[in-house]
Formats: sequence, structure tokens, C-alpha cells
Amino acid sequence: MAHAADAAHADHHDDHHLPSFWRRWFYSTNHKDIGTLYLIFGFTAGIIGGLLSIGMRLELQDPGLQYFSNPQAYNVFVTGHGLIMVFFMVMPTLIGGFGNWFIPIMIGAPDMAFPRMNNISFWLTVSAFALMLCSLFVEGAPGSLGFGGGWTVYPPLSTVGHPGPALDFGIFALHLAGAASILGAINFITTILNMRAPGMTLHKMPLFAWSMLVTAFLLLLSLPVLAGAITMLLTDRNFGTTFFDPSGGGDPVLYQHLFWFFGHPEVYIMILPAFGIVSHIISTFSKKPIFGYLGMAYAMVAIGVVGFVVWAHHMYTVGLSLQTQAYFVFATMVIAVPTGVKVFSWIATMWGGSIRFTAAMQWAVGFVFLFTVGGVTGVVLANAPVDRYMHDTYYVVAHFHYVLSLGAVFVIFAAMYYWFPKITGYVMPEWIGKLHFWVAFIGSNVLFFPMHFLGLSGMPRRYADYPDAFAGWNLVSSIGGYVFFAGLFIFMFGVVYAFIRKEKAAANPWGEGATTLEWTLSSPPPFHQFETLPRVIDTHH
Amino acid sequence: MAQAGRRYSHARAFPDAFMALCHHIFRSFGTPMRIENARRSVTALSTAAVALVLGISEAWAAAGQPSPWETGMQEMVTELGQNVSNFNTYLTWLMAAICLFVLALLLVIVARFNENKNPTPSKTTHNTLLEVAWTIVPVLILVAIAIPSFRLLREQLVPPQADLVVKVTGYSWYWGYEYPEDQGGGFKFDSNMVTEDSARKPDQPRLLGVDNAMVVPVGKVVRVQVTSADVMHSFTVPSFYFKVDAIPGRLNEVWFKAEREGVYYGQCSELCGNGHPYMPIEVRVVSEQQYAAWLTEAKQRYASTDSSAPTKFANAQ
Amino acid sequence: MAENPHIQRKMHRTAFACVGLVVGMVGLAYASVPLYDLFCKVTGFGGTPVAVDGNGSQVLDRTISVRFDSNVAPGLNWRFSPETPEVKVKLGETTTVLYKVTNKGDKPSTGIATYNVQPDLAGTYFSKLECFCFTEQILQPGETLESAVVFYVDPRLAQDRDVKDLSSITLSYTYFPSKGGKPVAEVTSSTTPISQ
Repeated sequence: MAHAADAAHADHHDDHHLPSFWRRWFYSTNHKDIGTLYLIFGFTAGIIGGLLSIGMRLELQDPGLQYFSNPQAYNVFVTGHGLIMVFFMVMPTLIGGFGNWFIPIMIGAPDMAFPRMNNISFWLTVSAFALMLCSLFVEGAPGSLGFGGGWTVYPPLSTVGHPGPALDFGIFALHLAGAASILGAINFITTILNMRAPGMTLHKMPLFAWSMLVTAFLLLLSLPVLAGAITMLLTDRNFGTTFFDPSGGGDPVLYQHLFWFFGHPEVYIMILPAFGIVSHIISTFSKKPIFGYLGMAYAMVAIGVVGFVVWAHHMYTVGLSLQTQAYFVFATMVIAVPTGVKVFSWIATMWGGSIRFTAAMQWAVGFVFLFTVGGVTGVVLANAPVDRYMHDTYYVVAHFHYVLSLGAVFVIFAAMYYWFPKITGYVMPEWIGKLHFWVAFIGSNVLFFPMHFLGLSGMPRRYADYPDAFAGWNLVSSIGGYVFFAGLFIFMFGVVYAFIRKEKAAANPWGEGATTLEWTLSSPPPFHQFETLPRVIDTHH
Repeated sequence: MAQAGRRYSHARAFPDAFMALCHHIFRSFGTPMRIENARRSVTALSTAAVALVLGISEAWAAAGQPSPWETGMQEMVTELGQNVSNFNTYLTWLMAAICLFVLALLLVIVARFNENKNPTPSKTTHNTLLEVAWTIVPVLILVAIAIPSFRLLREQLVPPQADLVVKVTGYSWYWGYEYPEDQGGGFKFDSNMVTEDSARKPDQPRLLGVDNAMVVPVGKVVRVQVTSADVMHSFTVPSFYFKVDAIPGRLNEVWFKAEREGVYYGQCSELCGNGHPYMPIEVRVVSEQQYAAWLTEAKQRYASTDSSAPTKFANAQ
Repeated sequence: MAENPHIQRKMHRTAFACVGLVVGMVGLAYASVPLYDLFCKVTGFGGTPVAVDGNGSQVLDRTISVRFDSNVAPGLNWRFSPETPEVKVKLGETTTVLYKVTNKGDKPSTGIATYNVQPDLAGTYFSKLECFCFTEQILQPGETLESAVVFYVDPRLAQDRDVKDLSSITLSYTYFPSKGGKPVAEVTSSTTPISQ
């Protein structure tokens, strides 16, 4: 990993007159301030998305309809939960939040390449979220509010099934969120390719920067396809085109191809930044450099590339031919290889280390195990013959929550506890993060593991009410959900407590293992860092 | 507990649901209904404990429908389904072994490489042999998965000669079945979920029983052709192992050969709107004689169904 | 620093390349609509019958049954059925089958048909010389129309290891009411209102 020996004397002019509150937080062009805004935004959206899922778990706790007046309202919750968690929680937090905060610092740049564009990205995301929330309160399906067709927005349910304007709001929200992400991606690519400190070649770049570079390219290539597909949907709905309407020669299956051409890379967009962050956390607390750095970097590139040619494994039941299904089975399983390289490289990084099990490290180790569980069920689902049974059952729900909720979200918290002293300048007592970890670890496993059983015994997804035989595991799952959600209060308490306690954090609270550039700066870093660029002098891997 | 009749009532969806949600949360402490639920929950939990301790959950698995605390696939009554079930068992053990292997490594790390036990970290960052190994071994495992997987795929997708063709159409929110004339049929009928508890036959579970079930003879290859009249649905019967999307403007087909008489249930598996959980599939597999008798009876019962555009809806009360 | 004009220029170049990539991908998304259609028609992907001009293949002795399926989407009061549910044909033999469609309603109405064949694998070998599809059809009240499908099953099917033992192919047609370019929101919804 890159050492920056003489970066410490990069001047610390934090007395540069700070802008007024309004100018600082609303017109912000400072990457750290925008990062903070994204983190707050992502957390808020996460709470809203989480409350929707609590609503779902309450309903599913017992068979029959208890809280929702009809399944459509439940479907609206399901859809809202999915869209909010994907577009307004995980992406803004990992990419907008931690990416903005630490990519410029890690590569030794003073700021992002286009600071004003960065500001536009953030406020576009906020507007998109506002539109998304509006869509919950306008008519979707006849006689009901909100769009309830799932985050995949498959036609014809999203056209003839929801003639009301709710989905139009949703489509515009996705347009704005997509535009924001594309602008953000351009910003990251330009920054990473052109603004690295002297001496930092691509092959010396921290893995988080690598992961963001790959993620940004995935965004750039996949989001326009989603934008195109939902625009076609919009014109199908409102202007009489028939892209996906069989009555005009269109094909609803084409929408699925387009959606998943975006949707599959999208899942890597959510998990790759997490891969990058977890590598740093593991290396820091093992006091060892990353094992197999180049293998780690190119494994992410491989995952990104192969991620574009596996999309139809989401569509094994639409009637694809034998050869098509065989190809997608094969291509999908190929992804397991670079993913395996990453998991084993993390383990090898820890092996022989002198590990300090801080809160951040506990979350990271928890991630490695739980992501493995989610990954292997992915291999099961990759096999079309088995997927035909599992498709659209709770097994799939369990699988993608293991990789996203117990994967990406665990890393979000690992990163929160890892970078909290750097971001705020205050120390959060370790016991808070550890307590949160154990509550979340137990809660999330109780929540999601029984879903495998439900899926195997045949419970379909997106059901507000289910046959009584599924009641047992659903009850267990709901209890786990409440525990997982309760863990959030521990985190919130920790943040408030740290701000009240005001214990100052050292520039590098984690010791010799923390080798990336952010630890050479004060905590919090000066408003403008690296006015003299650091020079990367020592590398070994 | 909410009864079937309540399910379709109430007018506005979202605000009502939201208000109801808040209402229930505040009202839920101490009302008899909630206590009953809580008691039920406690009972359910203790049942779970017993089931897990005795390891009998598998034994409860009945063909054709899910059973409480089931942890595996539903019992398969087709050869193909049995093969898939076996393949899934094989995969599950393989995957469990991988997870346990990773867990074991992590536990060793926690035990041996913490800063108390191992104050000086090693500086190893490369081991070519190891890196090649953890690339090659997964590839070999994947090959070991892919070979049986491709074989099964071929088995499913290359259809044998069918003895009977049944046409299934998905509607919002019920299924329509058509037995073509040259297949001994010449009638079609709609199959709606039984909503009233009192109207269900004793062997029909809630949300699974329908008024008019699909009937097929045992031991015959049945080809099911599926399409949809409005939005997409998905036709599935877990015990037969198949799932196929019903897509408007497109005909899809699957085949199965049920090897045991009985009643088998499935549920719509593609989100299709408000009635998505309320359009179950019920297939009664009967002996050839019973099937012949059913055909005769059905021809009379479902006569004069020449309407190609049904106007009946599942939730009409 | 970013003020350096050389780096500034490089950054702009990178950003414009990225914008180009985005525009290109949007273009590809739209291009995928005709390309997918073309791809299906040429390869028979997704069970799309292959359109041909003439039948130059020799007739084999091997027979296969071809079933005919018909559907009418809700909103169109038509009766639509093939003259026969199933025919047995020799591979390579040109066959004509008539579909009969009647307007049962009391108003003239316009329909448009789509089709596919099952199993998917057979799409490549199902060659149609003439058919009625994707053309708007206006029927007066009570009017009946007979439309012909002229096709043959390509004898190369017998050499394809996946489908050589296939006993039956189904050709399915669905008539949809023509929306005449009206957007979804103005056409009657296919699902009932949730409120009762």
C-alpha cells in the first residue's frame, strides 16, 4: 500500500475563513462537506426505507392481513423499500458519502475534479428523493395510492396495471437520481484518472479508489440503459408508444432484458465500494498490507466486466431457450471465481496479522462471513434448474439481503466506526460499535436466515398474506427485524454521545496499520487539504 | 386474526394502511386481539424450539403444500422435481461446507492472530501457490456444479411427447384453464380462490384452495401452455417443480409427469397487483378412471364457455 | 493543482469521453429495440418464427405435429380460432392453415396480432412464408375473416441434437385491441379498481 511519508507537513490552513452556514452546506463545493451531506441524507433515507420494512415485517408477523387494508398497499411498501434502499441509501452513502469524503484524500488530491458538479449531484439526489416520496401519495393502481409494481417496474403491471401518475413520479425520480449518479461517476473517473498525487500510479492506488473507479464505470455504462428503458416506459404510458406493449408489436420481455442489463451491474455498484472499504479496515487492524493487492484490484475489474454479461439469470422463468439459459448459468458462475479470490485474500490479509478487534474490525469480519453466505446462495441461484424452483420465492430475498443488507450495510457501519474519528474529530467509545455489531449480527441473521427456509418451502415474494404453514418462520424473521432495527438506535446514541463527550481524536487513532493518506491529516482534516501535494515515496506489495 | 372477508374491504389503500399501522401500533398494547396474537406467537416459538430440538421438521413435510417449520423443498412428486431436489441437496451441502470452511478460518484468525497472542504481524503479501490454488479450486468446484446442472437443464427444456395439453391463462387475479377439444376436453373454466372459510373443503388450506381445480391423470406427461390476458403472472406448482411466467402476447410451456395421486398447490409467483397473494393454483392428480369421469362431468358443468374475454374478476363480491 | 491548464485540459477530455460513453449507452438502449426485434426474427430467439420467401428444402419422411393456439386479449369482443387444433406435417412440407376470426360485438373494432412458437428451440426451424401479424385488422360487427398461415418446418430440425426428437410444435397467436396510439392511461385499465 502507498505510504506517504512526507504528506504530514501538507499545510493545515484550517483557519481559511469558513463560509457561513448557508453557503457552507447549501452551496457547498467542498468534497468533505458534500460527503457529510450525503452521509446524513443516506442515513435519513435508510431510516425511512427501514421503517417501510418494519411495516412489512409487522404485517408478515402473523398470517392474515393485520395492518394493511389490502395487499396493494403492502406492495407499495415493498416497492418503496427496494427503491429507497438501493438508490437513496446504499448508493448515496457508499459512493456519495464515503467516496466523496475519502477518494480525493486517499489519492492525495485537494478536492474532486468538478466541485460544483459535485454539489449539483447531491441536490439532484435530494430532489429525486422528494419525487420518490411524492409518488407514494398520488394515485397508482386505480383506487389506491403509490406504485406497487416492485423496484423492477416490469410492464405491463407498470403500464396497464398502474395508470395513475404515481409511477410517472417514480420514473422522474429515477431519472434525477440516475443523472446525479452519472455526474458523480464522471467526477470520480476524472478525479481518479487525473488528480492522483505525484508518484501514485494506478497500481499504487488504494483499493477503495480502485473500487470507486470500477463502480464509476459500471454506473456510466449501466445507468443510461435504465434511463432509456424507463423513458420508453414513460412514453408507453403517456404518449402511446408501444416499446413494451404487445398490442403494438412491443415485447414486455425486452424491458426485462434492458432492466437487468442495468440491474445486475447495479448490485455490483452497491457492493464494490464496500469491497474497497473492507480491504482497508482489515489491513489497518491486522497491521498488515493487503494480501495480493493486484489480484484484489483486478478481481474487482473482472467482477465489473463479467457483471455486464450475466443479466438474464434474473429471467430464467420467462421462457428462454436451452442454450441461452446454459450460457447465463455458466457466465454467472464465473463471477464466483474473482469473488472467491477477494474473500480468500481478505482472510489471508488477516492470517498472520496482529489483529485489534475494534468495532470497525468486528463489522468487517462479520461482513466477510455473511457475504460468503450470501455469495454461495448466489451460486445456488445461478443454476437455472434450481432457480426455477427458487425464482420469486423468499430464498431470493434471503440471498440478496445477505449480500446487500448483511453485506453492503454491514460495511457502511464498519466504515462509519472506522472513519468516524476522521470525519468528526471525536472518538466514539468502542463498546458502542461493538454492542451495535452484536445486536445487528444476531438480529439480521434471525431476520434473514429463516427466509431461506421459507423460500425452499415455496413462499413467494411480495405477499402480504400467506398460507398458515409459513407462519412460524415469518414470526422468527419479524422478531429478528425488530432487533436489527433497534440496533440503529445504539448507533444514533453513539453519534450523539460522541458529540456530547467531545473527546478529541488523534490524527491516526488506529496505529501503524492505517497507512492510507487520510490518516496523515488531522482529525477532522483541514477544510482544504493538500495545498502542497503529498509525494508518494514508499510502496511495497 | 384477520378473516378472509376483511381482506378485500376498505377503500383507500395507502393512507388507510398507514393510519391503520399507526393505530394498531398504539392500540396494540393490551387489547384482547393482540394478547391472543402474542399467545399464539409464544406457542409458535415453543413449537419451533421443539421442532428444532427433535429435528422432526422434515418429517412433517407433506407433498403438495408447505408445512409448518419446513426447512427444505416441498416433497417432489415428479422425477424431474426429485432430481432437482437432490441436486439442491448436493448444492446445499457443498455451499454449507464452503461457509463452514470460511467460518473455521475466521475463528482460527480470531483465536490465533489477535494482538494479544501475536504481537508482531507478519509482512507476507504474496504467495503465488496459494493464489493460484484459490483460483483453480473454485473453478473445479464450479465445474462439479455445472455438469449436473446442464444435464438437468436439458432434461427440463427438451420436452418429451405429451399425453395431454392444458392451456392456462393468467388473469387479474385468477387462473383460467382450457382443455382443448382434441385432448378429450373442449371446455374452459375459471379457478378462483375460495375466500370464505366455511366454503373451503376440509383438505384445502387457507389461501390455497380454489373453487375449480385443474385435474390431470396420474403418470401422464402433461404439457402446460401458459399465457396471460393482462399483466404478467407466473404459474407454478412447487411439488411438480416448474415455474413459468404468464406473459401477454406470448405462449410459454412446461411439462410435468405427476407420479402420485393427490392435491398439489402453488401460488402466483410474479407480482401482479392487489390480488397477487390471492390467485393460488390447485392441481388434483387422479387415476385415469377418475380423470375420465371428471372429463365427462366437466364437459357438462363448464359447457357454453365460449366467451374469450371473461369479465369476471377474482375479487368481485 | 487543478488550476494547471494542462491538467485542466486533460480533465475536460476525460469528462467529455465519459459523456460520450453515456450518450452512446442511451443510444444503444434505444437501438436495442429494433436490434432485439431483428435478432429474434433472424435467429428464432424467444420462439420467433423465421420469415422466409420460399421453401427450397426437401421433404423428409419424419413427421411432427403442429398445434395452433389462439388468444384474444380482453377488450376485444372477437372469436378467434384455428380451423384445426393440430396438423401432422412432414419436415420440409409446405402447409397452409386457416385461422378464423369473427367480430361478435355490435361495433366495428380493430385488432392486431402477435405470435410465437413453443418450444423456443423450435423457433429457428419454424419457417413462415405468409402470415397475418402486426397488421391492423378492422372487422365490422358480425364480420368473419379467414387468415392463412403458410409455413414449413425446416428439415434441419432433424439434425439439431436438442430438438431432433421433438414431437410437437405450437404456434400461438394473440389478438390485441389496437390502441391506435393512445397512451395507457386513456385506455381502460385491465385491472379493477382496488376500492369496492
